[in-house]
Amino acid sequence: MIKLQGVNKYFFRGEPREVYALRDINLTIEEGEFTLFGGASGCGKTTLLNVIGALDGCESGKIYFDEKEISSLDEDARTTLRLNELGFVFQAYNLVPVLSVEENIGFIMRLRGFSDEEIRRRVLEVATLLKIEDKLKSLPNALSGGQQQRVAVARAVAAKPKIILADEPTANLDSNNSQILMNMMKELNEKEGVSILFASHDELIMKSVKRVITLNDGAIVDDCKQ
Amino acid sequence: MFKLALKNTLFYKGRSITTAILTFVSTMLFILFISMQDGSHNSMLENSLKIYTGAIEIYAKGYRDIGGNDYLIEDAKAITDKLSKIDAIEAYSARYETYGLLSNKEYSAASMVAGVEPSKERVLSSLESALREGKFLDEDSKNCIYMGAELASKLKLRIGGEVAFVGGASEGSFAADIFRVCGTFKTGSFEFDSSASFLARSYFDELMYAKNKASYITIKLKNLSDADAVNSQIVKILDDEKLESLTWKTLMKSMVEAMEVDNIFGYISLSLFLVVIFFVIMIYGFINISSRIKEFGVLRSIGLSKRNIFLLLFYEIFILSTLALIVVTPLSAYICYYYSINPIVIEGIADMYKDYGIVSDEIPFDFNPFTIVWNIVVIYILNFISILYPYIYINSFKPIEAIRHV
Repeated sequence: MIKLQGVNKYFFRGEPREVYALRDINLTIEEGEFTLFGGASGCGKTTLLNVIGALDGCESGKIYFDEKEISSLDEDARTTLRLNELGFVFQAYNLVPVLSVEENIGFIMRLRGFSDEEIRRRVLEVATLLKIEDKLKSLPNALSGGQQQRVAVARAVAAKPKIILADEPTANLDSNNSQILMNMMKELNEKEGVSILFASHDELIMKSVKRVITLNDGAIVDDCKQ
Repeated sequence: MFKLALKNTLFYKGRSITTAILTFVSTMLFILFISMQDGSHNSMLENSLKIYTGAIEIYAKGYRDIGGNDYLIEDAKAITDKLSKIDAIEAYSARYETYGLLSNKEYSAASMVAGVEPSKERVLSSLESALREGKFLDEDSKNCIYMGAELASKLKLRIGGEVAFVGGASEGSFAADIFRVCGTFKTGSFEFDSSASFLARSYFDELMYAKNKASYITIKLKNLSDADAVNSQIVKILDDEKLESLTWKTLMKSMVEAMEVDNIFGYISLSLFLVVIFFVIMIYGFINISSRIKEFGVLRSIGLSKRNIFLLLFYEIFILSTLALIVVTPLSAYICYYYSINPIVIEGIADMYKDYGIVSDEIPFDFNPFTIVWNIVVIYILNFISILYPYIYINSFKPIEAIRHV
C-alpha cells in the first residue's frame, strides 16, 4: 500500500551542518496495518508521518502510494491525494472552530462531494461509534480535550480514507481518555479496515499497535511486529 | 465554502466589524468625493451658462468667424416659432450684439452693447441676479443701460449717470444716443463685467434698425445633459444651410478644456485616494489572514484545495463588503441627494472668490445613481483585489509549515 525507497530528508540544506530528519528510509506498509512510529523526541517520527501523508516533501528517494509515485507530485495533486485517500489526526485536534461537531465530522465528506443524506448517515454512524453522538450540535470549544480528539478521529475516518495518520493523538489526553481513544482506533482498524499509522512515544499506543517501527536520528533502527 | 465563510465572519466578530467599517468609511468618502467633484463641475458649468452663454446657440454661418451685419439672422421669429415646438427647450431669446464706443465727459471705453428681452433674460441668464447697484432692465426701458460694474468703474459712472454711445446700426449707418445708467452687474467674470452692457430689445431695435434681426438665438434647456440630442433636433427642424446650431461644448471650448484639466487633477487625487483605500483594506486583511495561517494550514492538510482557499477568502470579503455596502449605499446616496438639492453654504465664499469666477456660496453635490453604482463596483473590485496578496502569502507555506506557524 505504502512503500518508501531510500527516502532522505534534511533541514538547513547547504549550511555548514545539515540536519538529517530522515536517513535512507526503506519501508513497506500493507493495507489494514496498525502501526506506530516510535522513538525519542526529535528522532524523525513526525517527519516520517508527514512525508507519508504528503504534507511534507523529501530531498531524495521515492514514496509510492498504491503503486503510484507520490513524492514528485505537485501541491494540488498532493492536496487531492490527502483529501481522497488519507485522514489526519493531529496532536492539537485542529478542528475548525466555527463549525459544529457534526459539520467538522462531515467536512471532508462535503469536500469530496458526498450527498447530504450520505453525510448525515455517516456522521451519525461514526459519532455513535466514537460516543459523541450527543455532541453533534456543539462547537469544538464547548468540548473537553478527549471529546475534541474523538471528533478529530471521527473527521478523519468519516470519509473512509485508506489510511489514517495520527500524530501524538494522546499527547493532550489523560490516561483514561487515551485508553478510550486507543480502543476506538483499534475498533476502527478492525471494523472498518482502516490502516492507522501513529507517531508517538506513548507506552499505551506502543502496547496497542501490531507493529512498532523505531527511529533514531532519522533512521529506522527497529521494525517489530507484535 | 460560502457557509464556512459566513460562519468565519460571524465567529471572528471583531475582525469582521473592523473590515466592514473600513469598507463603509472608504466607500462613503469615495462616493462623497466623486459627488462633490461632479457637483462642482456641474456647478461651474451651470454658473458659466447661467451668466450669459446658452446651452445651445443658433447663428448665421460666418457670424462667429467673420462677424458684422452681413452675417445676422434676418428673420429671428421664423426660427423661434420652430423652437417653440421642442419640449426639451425651457426658454429662448433672440439677442442682438454690436460693438461701439461709450463715452462721458472724461472717459471712453469700447463695449459690447447687446439688445436683450429682459423678461426672457430673467429665465435664460443670471444678468438680473448679478445686479450690483440700481435695477435691471424692463421691457419698455428707454435710454436705459445696464452695464458691467467694471465697465462703469472704468468710465467713472454711477447710477443715473449719462453716457454717450456711438456704434453701427444693422443696415450700416451710424447709431448714436445718450444712455442713462440704470443698473450695474457683477457676474464674477472680469472680462464680461468690464466690457458688456445691455439695452432693452424694444428700444435697441429702434436705435439699430434691428427689428426681427438677431446676432444669434440663445437657448436654455430643461436638462443640460440633453444638449447634443436637442441640438440634432434643432438642426433637423431648421433645415437651413445658412444657419448653424452649436452646443455649449463648442461655445465654451476654453471652459471645457479647463474642466478636462481639472478632471485630470481630480482623477489623480482620486487615484491616490483609491490607492490609500486599497492599501488600508489590503494591509488589514493581510494582518487578519496572517493570524489565521495555522487555520489555513489545517484546512489545506485535510484536503482543501488552493481554489477552495481562494473561494473562502473571496466569500468572506464578499460577505463583509456586501454588508457594508448595503448600509453605506442608501446612506451616501441620501447624503448626495440631500446636498444636491440643499447645497452646503459657506457664507462669503462667493464674495471672497468672485474675481476668480466663483459666483455662489454653495458647495454643490451631484446625485447620480449611475455614478454611485460604479463607485460601489470600484470598491467591490478593490476589496476583491485586496485578497490576492494575502492569498499568495498563505500559499507560500507548505501545509505542514502553516500548521506550525505561530
